[in-house]
Amino acid sequence: MFDLLVQFLANTGYFLADYRHIIMLVVGCTFLYLGTAKKYEPLLLVPIGFGILVGNIPFFKGFGLGIYEANSVLHYLYFGVTTGVYPSIVFLGLGAMTDFSSLLAQPKLMLLGAAAQMGIYFTLLGALFMGFLPREAASIAIIGGADGPTSIFLTAKLAPHLIGPIAIAAYSYMALIPVIQPPIMRLLTSREERLIRMPEPREVSKKEKLIFPIAGVLLCCFLAPTALPLLGMLFLGNFLKECGVVNRLANTAQSAIIDTATIFLGFTVGCSTQGDVFLTPKSLGIFFLGSIAFSIATASGVIFAKIMNLFLKRKINPLLGAAGVSAVPGSAREVHLMGLKEDPNNFLLMHGMACNSSGVIGSAICAGILWSFFI
Amino acid sequence: MYGFDNITANNGWAMAVVGSTIVFAGLVVLSFVISQIHKILELWEKRSFRKERRKEASPTDEAPKIQGPLYKAQHLPSVNDLISIYRPLVEQLKEPFEISQLFEVSNKMDLAHPHLSIKQLWEADVLIAQGDGTFTWNKQKGN
Repeated sequence: MFDLLVQFLANTGYFLADYRHIIMLVVGCTFLYLGTAKKYEPLLLVPIGFGILVGNIPFFKGFGLGIYEANSVLHYLYFGVTTGVYPSIVFLGLGAMTDFSSLLAQPKLMLLGAAAQMGIYFTLLGALFMGFLPREAASIAIIGGADGPTSIFLTAKLAPHLIGPIAIAAYSYMALIPVIQPPIMRLLTSREERLIRMPEPREVSKKEKLIFPIAGVLLCCFLAPTALPLLGMLFLGNFLKECGVVNRLANTAQSAIIDTATIFLGFTVGCSTQGDVFLTPKSLGIFFLGSIAFSIATASGVIFAKIMNLFLKRKINPLLGAAGVSAVPGSAREVHLMGLKEDPNNFLLMHGMACNSSGVIGSAICAGILWSFFI
Repeated sequence: MYGFDNITANNGWAMAVVGSTIVFAGLVVLSFVISQIHKILELWEKRSFRKERRKEASPTDEAPKIQGPLYKAQHLPSVNDLISIYRPLVEQLKEPFEISQLFEVSNKMDLAHPHLSIKQLWEADVLIAQGDGTFTWNKQKGN
């Protein structure tokens, strides 16, 4: 009887735990704290945080329990991540939720979304400099797009063994926008620049909104067909929303479908951060490069807005450049808040959303381009 | 391998330059296209508006052409019926009378298609021209 008890105790998590599990459990609890108490991207951090807790409960290998063990339930749920299914579904919902009116009203703001993608290519060089393999470097670089689903999608295609750290880095930096972006924005802009008011966007007709997803999918996917799984779904979702004849489908895409995908995506990504797989020097390198990528992306957008101002009659507020990263709507909100701090009547949210939505398109194109480099 | 050697060996410089150029060019083209959508739509709407106006305008322009079929389509009363309708009116007028007088009276009575009816009576020799712009009622045919 004593032997049986000892055998049972030897198989419990308490006995099997090592320092890596403890570290990851602390990380999981931190995510849950940030998501619930601080309300930093709770829709992402709560499922990921809980997933980290579940994924780091020590278990006896070979029982078919872990996410990396074939035939386990978690492994099947993780299938949606490794094949890129969840990111595509998230993009469908994102398209159905996004109103591109502000972008259609001010197309020049799309250039800021393009400029912010420079962070991706700087990070590509940085990752190669640090000795990562090309496919790994491309997967790390996409963190600069500040788009979780896109990062997961590309990493699943190029370096599936890095999904955990890259996804966690991407989502962490998205959640830490209020900490990372404001100092960069303040550093690169003067008070006068932050006070620039943007003109009221013109009214956009229904027909324009209807044509945009068709023009968008044709232009972008002809340019980078590898972006089809993301952009095809994004523009489909947007067309469902704008055409007005399939409201049931649009409503489902922007609620039940994206919520279901987000839960499974966040949870399984969290589960994939098993201490023994996740806590490696590579992960630390990825986190370091991720922060660099995100900072460079923010700075590129702001600097490009300042360059545009040299040529424009009507100046644009350079803070908007920081919203060129595709962290929707976090970075637009941050730009808006910083604008309000300087001038309580300067409302930049709608303009920021224009840059944000172009950032989503831009980072998906970047993912497609990077993937195509390795086909 | 680390450092610049790794970047060069893995074609990193080219990937960065080509990748950033493609994404930038792509978004510039997309932004140009979406900046033109409303202008194209405006032109299109103006064009269709003009077409509609032309369509609306065409029936009045071509009115004479469709008068023929209308004449037949009106199902005007026969000459005999017209005689019975117009004889009381002519009796009100002093002979010889002008067509305009007959027209005025028939208008007062709110008769349908007075022009056509009077024309038909004239063609049937019920109304006889006197040569000085006046008409008389043919009592032989008009009884």
